[in-house]
Amino acid sequence: MYKFLLILFFVISVNTNLLSEDNFEKGLRIAKESYESTRGYIDSESDQLMILVDPKGNEVIREISGKTLENDDPNDGDKSIIFFNKPKDVEGTVMLSHTHVNDDDDQWLYLPALGRVKRISSSNKSGSFMGSEIAFEDFSGNDYRKYEWEFIGEEEYEGETCYKLVSIPKYKNSGYTKRIGFTDKLLRPRMIEYFDRKGELLKTLYFEDYQLYNDKIWNADTFRVVNHQNKNKTIYKWVNRELNVGINKKDFEKSSLLRLAD
Amino acid sequence: MIYIKILNFILIVTFIFSFNSNALEYKLYGLVQPEFSIFTNGDGKHHQSKNNYSFFTKGNFISYLDERDAKITISAIARYDEKDSERRYIDFQKLKYEQYFENYTFKIGNEIIFWGVNESFNIIDIINQSNLAEDMTGTKKLGQPLLSLAYDNNYGTIDLHLMPYFIERKFPSKNGRPRLALEVDQNSITYESSAKEQNLDFALRYSMVYDDYDIGIAHFHGNNRAPQLNINPSTLKFNPHYTILSQTSLDIQATKGAWLYKLEALSAKDGNERHLGVAGGFEYTFYGIRDSQSDLGLVIEYSFDDRNSYPFNNDSVAALRWTKNDINSTSLLAGMFIDMRGNSNRFIAEYEQRINNNIKLFIDATFNGSIDSQDFTYAFEEDSVFSIKLARYF
Repeated sequence: MYKFLLILFFVISVNTNLLSEDNFEKGLRIAKESYESTRGYIDSESDQLMILVDPKGNEVIREISGKTLENDDPNDGDKSIIFFNKPKDVEGTVMLSHTHVNDDDDQWLYLPALGRVKRISSSNKSGSFMGSEIAFEDFSGNDYRKYEWEFIGEEEYEGETCYKLVSIPKYKNSGYTKRIGFTDKLLRPRMIEYFDRKGELLKTLYFEDYQLYNDKIWNADTFRVVNHQNKNKTIYKWVNRELNVGINKKDFEKSSLLRLAD
Repeated sequence: MIYIKILNFILIVTFIFSFNSNALEYKLYGLVQPEFSIFTNGDGKHHQSKNNYSFFTKGNFISYLDERDAKITISAIARYDEKDSERRYIDFQKLKYEQYFENYTFKIGNEIIFWGVNESFNIIDIINQSNLAEDMTGTKKLGQPLLSLAYDNNYGTIDLHLMPYFIERKFPSKNGRPRLALEVDQNSITYESSAKEQNLDFALRYSMVYDDYDIGIAHFHGNNRAPQLNINPSTLKFNPHYTILSQTSLDIQATKGAWLYKLEALSAKDGNERHLGVAGGFEYTFYGIRDSQSDLGLVIEYSFDDRNSYPFNNDSVAALRWTKNDINSTSLLAGMFIDMRGNSNRFIAEYEQRINNNIKLFIDATFNGSIDSQDFTYAFEEDSVFSIKLARYF
């Protein structure tokens, strides 16, 4: 009886919490749960293919491969290494990033022609990644800690009822003033509209080809971006993605760049 | 020659490993690049020709062994030049075998190692010899044979390099443009070291990252990469003399948002004389200028040296770098070098853009303004030039 009362009390208090939740708290909770559902991957390795399409339909291909290391620190970001393969003139270039949640990242670039590792400025997370319609900050766009959230209702998206969320970047150098997105009931972002610094609709990012990795983590293997202002499109595909591969943590330090580079 | 023996050794090791591994994991890539230059002041001071063509190629072969715990790298460059015989060469920039252990890296062979943080005045960079036939500013290097051991832990990295064989500086020949006032007689080289080119040079470097700071402390002892050029009165050529250099250096970069602050400093004993050099500056980038994807970077650097004979003893550079961040990676660098002692100045511009996935276009221009007759660059005062290069990558 005592146990039953305790459980009853617990259920009521949780429900009361949920009932009293306002739209900002609800938005944050959904975003946090969505983010946390993608955590626990430990590390990952993948090849990435990018197709850049101009308004006339001309296509250009980019190829990179990458490694990512999850950061357990709740106040810090993940680490990543990118190896550039195509276009051919950047082959052999390697970029190491230590990302931070609401601050500039630390980035180093290995330049093969000079045999030189350069620390570069990274206060431009809003800049184009390899001439595409994707910015650096979009890769970590699911990190709830980077935005203020608001739940503004439920809507049908591609036949599914989704949460409609507004997010406002906290990072002062963000290229956006606002994002409006749909997150489905499996907590997967499905589509996000981005508004530029002037508040105008800039682009839409569609999350496609969701795959369940290691029986627990949903990753969209395709990002499709349509820029409404310059009419360019970018299709970004992850292939051969593997999680929890056991990469040496030391690979993600500056001193390993020369080791990992050609 | 020890140098040839080392190269042979690495090639033999390469082949042994290649045949032992069942499925050789390797990468092969490179480029071919025709180049054409037009000089705008007519014939040069030394009656060189008004234009020149040249052909450059580079090949890289990288093979991973031992479940990626070992690596063989071959990176070779070669050039054919219409006029300058010193620009007809092959160089193994990298020809090395590396073995990785948890905290150690062992390396043998030819390697390119860069020290420093500056964009223009790379005063502490000392491991590799400069190829002045390739580029008078000295940024183009020749592969250095070495044995290296690196140790790293949470506090930083220590590199030890032993260099058993010295590579002589390459200078343009008498038909080269630009070239020095006199021809360099590569058959009349002298050394302070009795072991000459077989002097065992060594270098030690400690480098670390602390928050926004990248810091390096280094010491080098061995044949100076920059020779004294003494006029031989009977041949009227420069005879290079390589002294023994003992150089201690410090380099720091602070990365603060869009600002980069850079400093390189050295104290060195060259032959019997001690000298001091300091060079540094800053770089600032304006991102997304005028609401576009373009960035505009500003670089300002200054170099001081307490030797009167050193070319960059009171010099500065100011440059603007525009990057369009478009599909073709279009960029333009425009800069001005000013020698504040002799009031000499030089203007450079470098434009590049991709034509397609495999072809890239480069257009470079150098204009010499007023040049003081006491300045070493006076010899190429009339060598203002436009060059066009087209790189085809494979």
